[in-house]
Amino acid sequence: MLDGILTGLQTAASPLNLLMVTAGCFVGTFIGMLPGLGPISAIALMIPITYGLDPASGLILMAGVYYGAIFGGSTSSILINAPGVAGTVATAFDGYPMARKGQAGKALAIAAYSSFSGGTIAAVFLLFAAPSLASVSLAFQSTDYFALMVLGLTAVAAFAGKGNITKALLMTVFGLMLSTVGTDETQGVQRFTFGAMDLIDGISFLLLAMATFALSEALMAVLKPKSEDDRRREMEAQKDLGSMKLTAAEVREMAPVVGRSAVLGFFTGVLPGAGATIASFLAYGTEQRLAGPEKGKEFGHGSIRGLAAPETANNAACSGSFVPLLTLGIPGSGTTAIMLGALLSYGIQPGPRLFIDNPGVFWSVIVSMYIGNVILLILNLPLIPYIARILAVPQTILIPMILFFSLIGVYFVSFNTFDIQMMVIFAVGAVLLRLLAFPMAPMLLGFILGGMMEENLRRALIINDDSWSFLWERPLTLSILLIAALILFVPMVMPHVRRLLVRRSETAGEGG
Amino acid sequence: MLNRDRVGALLLLAFTLGYGALTFRIPLLPFQAQAAFTARTVPEALTLLGVGLCLILLIKPGRDPGESHAGYQWGRAAALCAVMVVYGLTVRPGGFLLSTGLFLIAGFLIMGERRWVLILSTAIPVVVLFWALMTQLLGVFIEPWPEFLRG
Repeated sequence: MLDGILTGLQTAASPLNLLMVTAGCFVGTFIGMLPGLGPISAIALMIPITYGLDPASGLILMAGVYYGAIFGGSTSSILINAPGVAGTVATAFDGYPMARKGQAGKALAIAAYSSFSGGTIAAVFLLFAAPSLASVSLAFQSTDYFALMVLGLTAVAAFAGKGNITKALLMTVFGLMLSTVGTDETQGVQRFTFGAMDLIDGISFLLLAMATFALSEALMAVLKPKSEDDRRREMEAQKDLGSMKLTAAEVREMAPVVGRSAVLGFFTGVLPGAGATIASFLAYGTEQRLAGPEKGKEFGHGSIRGLAAPETANNAACSGSFVPLLTLGIPGSGTTAIMLGALLSYGIQPGPRLFIDNPGVFWSVIVSMYIGNVILLILNLPLIPYIARILAVPQTILIPMILFFSLIGVYFVSFNTFDIQMMVIFAVGAVLLRLLAFPMAPMLLGFILGGMMEENLRRALIINDDSWSFLWERPLTLSILLIAALILFVPMVMPHVRRLLVRRSETAGEGG
Repeated sequence: MLNRDRVGALLLLAFTLGYGALTFRIPLLPFQAQAAFTARTVPEALTLLGVGLCLILLIKPGRDPGESHAGYQWGRAAALCAVMVVYGLTVRPGGFLLSTGLFLIAGFLIMGERRWVLILSTAIPVVVLFWALMTQLLGVFIEPWPEFLRG
């Protein structure tokens, strides 16, 4: 492992890659700060640039953008109560009240130190967890991979929240359907191409990601214009941030919160589908309970603990979400799904063999996460007052620029104008589905995993002489499928079971 | 009652049924008729899953808190979509500099920007710098001029 770390350090610390991670953090912070644009859009906008780079540099740039976007999202949460990313919604609970009290600088500093600590602790965990899991997963067969992909997709739906499971599952199936467009790889048969040459290679994942995230988010911002109140808050936010210094007592109060939230965040991030949003809410809730009645009352009114917990957890979860991606080749979130797409387009198959076949990529990404956190702390924190000025760029200018960069990013990869028309169609469809409150991330995850899932299922059937018995005969495959079923059905069944138990206890009470 | 979940389910059901109908058009070789896995297997399974999930959502939709769409700028969003389509049609014959410049200017105007100094001082440098970056620095050739000016 030491050799691997040194290899990673050598690659990640090269001048080009240091530049990449710095640029990534910086650009990510900018984009993440724009309300509505999350890390998926930020990474999607970067992909056309990464095509000219070697895989390690490209992935390092994207990892930097990911961290930067989360940090940028925290900034807009704290300054204007408008989280750029779902993972930073909980940050606004206490960050914005602090900013209202004239402690915006302090809140930003707490966010930065917590993010740094969370990211760093999680990077150390990743250093040990990823190679161990990768060695174990070398024993996995295509049947297990198929089951793992089913688990990944169902987990995303299961974590979608109460009342949204069916919608998330439906969007996953929709994404899987889109992935079947094009030429079937093993039989050479065209599917759903309508005889159009432009569809023979299928729909490009970059096109779909840009259209359903960057373009549709920009169009949603056009549909719902900012109120006067929002605009006033944005102007006020940049005027005076106040001191960024923390007292020794505040650091002492933060330290145990950061430690606990980092561990919780990392392990939540590892779970497919859970991600930064759930991690931040879990950490917030846990700390509120642990704070006791006195300190617990401060939550929601500018509590240091309430700000440190979600900030630590969301960054730790970002590192955690790389574990299934790097070791199993299965993305646990929309953001890592888009990174998987980028890796595949480099011709690199993430999975257990990644750290054997491409140790440079594997280790440099892990090491660059630590470097990215350091850069976020030493570069972004002092620059925040200046970066925050992006909030002052009028939407009249910003929106057409986002549309331009999204369209041109896709066009410059294929030089096919049909792609621009297709992006508009997908963006309109995505806006419609967003208005109907259908989630987009499961669709993207389904799209990216669709091809791999079909390929593994086909291979599994060939190995098992066209018999489906592998689903129940191979213990590992069966266990993974059972876990998937549990994850999916337990949240659906539990409310009914609880209601039944309550009714039974009521009946027993009446009878007694 | 028709709430947002049901409208979405109906739209996706229509899509799924169309997808399912097209599944039968996927050609199969004669010896594949009895095969356990063909190019149709996954699309057929997805159609069944899609129809099932749409029906579940239609029968048991979630609680919709309802969202007022009053004040939404539909016209502005539609105009931006139209400009994007036109940009797609003109970027090649019109050349990158002219078509992109016009696209950005049209976008700014649609968004309500009327300060011409700001419009031009943003659009022109962005287009020229982006073109220079791609062609001179990254070595990607992009035709700058419209067809009638090309030699």
